Amino acid sequence: MSLIESLSTNLPKLLDGAETTLILTGLGAALAAVFSPGLALIRLFGPTPAKMLLRAYISFVRGTPLLAQLFLVFYGSGQFRAELTGLGLWSFFRDPFNCAVLVFVINSCAYQTEILRGGIEAVPPGEIEAARAIGMTRARVLARVIFPHAYRIAWPALGNEVILLMKASALASIVTVFDLMGRTRQIFSRSFEFSVYFEAAALYLLITVVFVFLWRQIERRLTRHMRRTQGS
Amino acid sequence: MMETLFSYGPQGWGDELLAGVWVTLRLAAATLPVGLLLGFVVAAASLSRRPVLRAMGWGYTTVMRGMPEILTLFIVYNGLGLGLNRLLDHFAPQIGAVDFPPFAAGVIALALVFAAFAAEVLRGAFQAVPEGQVLAGLAIGMTGRQVFWRIKLPQLWRFALPGMGNLWLNLLKDTALVSVIALDDLMRATKVAVGVTKQPFTFYLAACLIYWGLCLGSELVLTRLEARANRGVRRA
Amino acid sequence: MPPKIATDLVLSAQDIHKSFGAQEVLKGITLGARNHDVISILGTSGSGKSTFLRCLNCLEVPNSGSVAVHGEEIVFRNGRIGDQRQIERLRRHLGMVFQQFNLWTHRTVLENVMEGPVQVKRMPKAEARDLAEGLLARVGLADRMGHYPAMLSGGQQQRVAIARALAMEPDVILFDEPTSALDPELVGEVLKVMQDLAAEGRTMIVVTHEMAFARDVSTEVVFLNEGRIAEQGPPEKLFDHPETEVFARFISKTRRDFA
Repeated sequence: MSLIESLSTNLPKLLDGAETTLILTGLGAALAAVFSPGLALIRLFGPTPAKMLLRAYISFVRGTPLLAQLFLVFYGSGQFRAELTGLGLWSFFRDPFNCAVLVFVINSCAYQTEILRGGIEAVPPGEIEAARAIGMTRARVLARVIFPHAYRIAWPALGNEVILLMKASALASIVTVFDLMGRTRQIFSRSFEFSVYFEAAALYLLITVVFVFLWRQIERRLTRHMRRTQGS
Repeated sequence: MMETLFSYGPQGWGDELLAGVWVTLRLAAATLPVGLLLGFVVAAASLSRRPVLRAMGWGYTTVMRGMPEILTLFIVYNGLGLGLNRLLDHFAPQIGAVDFPPFAAGVIALALVFAAFAAEVLRGAFQAVPEGQVLAGLAIGMTGRQVFWRIKLPQLWRFALPGMGNLWLNLLKDTALVSVIALDDLMRATKVAVGVTKQPFTFYLAACLIYWGLCLGSELVLTRLEARANRGVRRA
Repeated sequence: MPPKIATDLVLSAQDIHKSFGAQEVLKGITLGARNHDVISILGTSGSGKSTFLRCLNCLEVPNSGSVAVHGEEIVFRNGRIGDQRQIERLRRHLGMVFQQFNLWTHRTVLENVMEGPVQVKRMPKAEARDLAEGLLARVGLADRMGHYPAMLSGGQQQRVAIARALAMEPDVILFDEPTSALDPELVGEVLKVMQDLAAEGRTMIVVTHEMAFARDVSTEVVFLNEGRIAEQGPPEKLFDHPETEVFARFISKTRRDFA
């Protein structure tokens, strides 16, 4: 089979899979981003028991394979089927897509929290003092000084995290989600057509390249004020 | 009931899980030197004076780091499998279809991935060795080779260790993927136990805790190694 | 055509030119050192004095000119290194002490000093150890041999670096602003060691800002300006009767700094 022929039969399916990959990644990263700023604050300034709990959560997520986490939620929920049905949650856990998103959120949130913590710690203390000195409330200092700064600092690392999540989302295929990887395996198992793997690889790389480009564009906007000092 | 589930013997699954852990550790330990060696080769290419080699090094790290690990694993496993069978068809058709040994496929795939990341860590570390250290070696008449072996390489360790530590943790976790290609590692042993006991949450949680323990243990060792590598650099 | 090298010179540089990109930093410098000479090289920053020193042991490769040690001459053309072996041989005859010390951070003080004799000269370890211990005692660091460089003060590190250079038993020692990176209170201990070396009759070429050292210790002073030798001669003559206006301005300015 020629490459063109192979592409024309495979591409629609692969693109469909890529769409799922993007949704999985986007949903996971975005939902994690909702929780991470609050958690980062708790991680830094919260009460000790909460800090300890967060540290344990982050350490657990970082110390276990994503695949194991995915199996724990997707297959593990079956052990509590009766209870979950009673709560009306069983239909959620029965769907591998939902479980994958849930795990990705839990996973990415841990990494994003750590990255943001680093960003917050890197905010120059003088700027925080200056904000306090003009009488800003704590909330305003957070919203106007600390977080804008922290996100600028953390932006490249957050981008890396999204790419890692995108790659990791391929694991969803193992619990039968038909993302890009899932479609690829499906095509290969039917046709034993090895080139489909390379087509998938190219698509993953394309997604990464486009994402890196877009992320850098946003970074440029975020760091507009820095550009003059960086020299030209 | 927990005790019987995880006991060591015919009723419990303790021994099976332990055997799985052993495979996981062997896989990671076998991958490390292969990946490191390949990483050095790729780093050398990336730092080469020849544009062609540099481009190859860059291409390798970019592609390998941009692909999901599981995809790399399938490409290696199925690709080597297809290749092996094609060879067998040609030379010894009486044998019939065989599978490529999953352990070897796992080592190769994980090493290919590890090497791409390791190459970046090594490249950064090489560039982090201060120029003065090299100049001092040249000034007493060392050859380029002596400067490499006596000055650059011993200091490389210090700059590369934190990054390498992270890669080792990732490697430990990535071994779980190999369960997908029928290798009896911890993940697969857990799956078997789940199939029999119908207690997926209990067993997958146990597996998670074991991986967590392995990572925490590794971190402990890595912290020590880093302290050792930095001896003499940071003020006591 | 520059004059032919006199044969009693241990180290000589002929018409050294060096450019970085379009900028010519050294515009033809000729300098020779006889045994027991202590030559101080002075100059404003950007005059090319450090670059010249680094050209002497080929850490910087000159675009043209030649360097000769012990009559073995290396000729540079188009900024190329001809024979790497020859350069390594040349470097073994020249010790170098850097502004930033550049002690090997992963080796102890003793190992730093032993490294050259053992690795480059293939001296037996026991012998190198005796040598290194003796040298460290001489620079006043007998009690610091097992320490790592980071545990030492800047002045101590620089004295180790001097011992490291001495361990190669060089014909000439090159000093590249050896006290510029030191806190003021540590400068003295390093200058003292250098003064002792000069008194022993060591041949030294010193790029420095220390006027007192240039004046009182050296046998010859060279003043570089914009990549050329502007003035050269015995210190008493130069300091008391500067011939050029740039040098007169240079010494009056540094005098004011000291006052």
